[in-house]
Amino acid sequence: MTDELLVVRAQLGERAALAELLARWRMPVWTYVRRMLDGERADDVTQEIWLAVVRGLPRLREPGRFAPWLFTIARRSVTDRLRGEYAWAQETSGLGDMVGEGIAEDPAEAMVDRAALVNVLSDLPVPEREILVLFYLEDLPIEECAYICQIPAGTVKSRLNRARRLLREHLEEKGYRP
Amino acid sequence: MTEEPRLPAQDMIERLAPALSLTTRIRAVTALLAGMAGTVFVSALWWSEPGPLPGRTHLAFAMLTVFCLTWAGYGGWLLTRRVPLFATDQVIAAWIGLAASLATTAVVTVVAVGRGSGAGPALAVGGLFVAVALVLAVRAHARRAALLRRMHELTGREEGGTRSP
Repeated sequence: MTDELLVVRAQLGERAALAELLARWRMPVWTYVRRMLDGERADDVTQEIWLAVVRGLPRLREPGRFAPWLFTIARRSVTDRLRGEYAWAQETSGLGDMVGEGIAEDPAEAMVDRAALVNVLSDLPVPEREILVLFYLEDLPIEECAYICQIPAGTVKSRLNRARRLLREHLEEKGYRP
Repeated sequence: MTEEPRLPAQDMIERLAPALSLTTRIRAVTALLAGMAGTVFVSALWWSEPGPLPGRTHLAFAMLTVFCLTWAGYGGWLLTRRVPLFATDQVIAAWIGLAASLATTAVVTVVAVGRGSGAGPALAVGGLFVAVALVLAVRAHARRAALLRRMHELTGREEGGTRSP
């Protein structure tokens, strides 16, 4: 059953569909939150996100766009917790956003294997960490990452490039070689 | 990547239960409707009171009106911010709202006529409430019908997809 059908059924008031939707997206949401926050806060924030999702679900006008809507809510809850850290990181990453590098031919692509990625993610600044989590761990397309982060698709690409470069540096520091 | 949420799925669903409970939704709809009906009723009594009223009576009517408005505000806040009303709930809530509007209009009109202040204003205010409730009921039905149509389309598409690989 597609997400859209589950959302429509949940919007009609079917509890089983809501539970199924929650079961299906529980781990992806938690993974995103956990990569952005420490373990102690992750469970609380995840619960807060699901409460906001349940409360907002009747007002979701495009059931086919459930995933970006869900991650927009998740991102809002996470940024509320990270407010100070996030503002600082956005200032420092501004330069990287202006560099319009190509995306497909980056050699760091090969290095982005999930286990290694997860190990060094917490060392990265928030905007770069966030974009790596959404793009690589959640497998969301560039357009949806752009929608969730409220930035143009071009900025997503340049931020991904910068994130990969930082990731490569961190991995090399830790002795990892592709 | 082997890390897991500390809260099991079942516990998570249980923690969401208060937001989804029928009691909370009934409480919210009751607070909104009783608050609004009370406001209309008290205002009608206040307005149709014969002769000049002492200051203390005005104060009492004003306080009662504010009290009813507060309940209506609380119910409205619960319904829009705290308690999700899904499409079917919205249809039921809209019909309850329509019934409550009709009953309030009838009671207020009877009281106004009984006090000799004429049915016109009571019917006008009541009619406004009934009209709003009707619009909400029509919108709720349309929204539910659209969702049902979409559900059948998607179900048909999925069944078609599984039959012809």
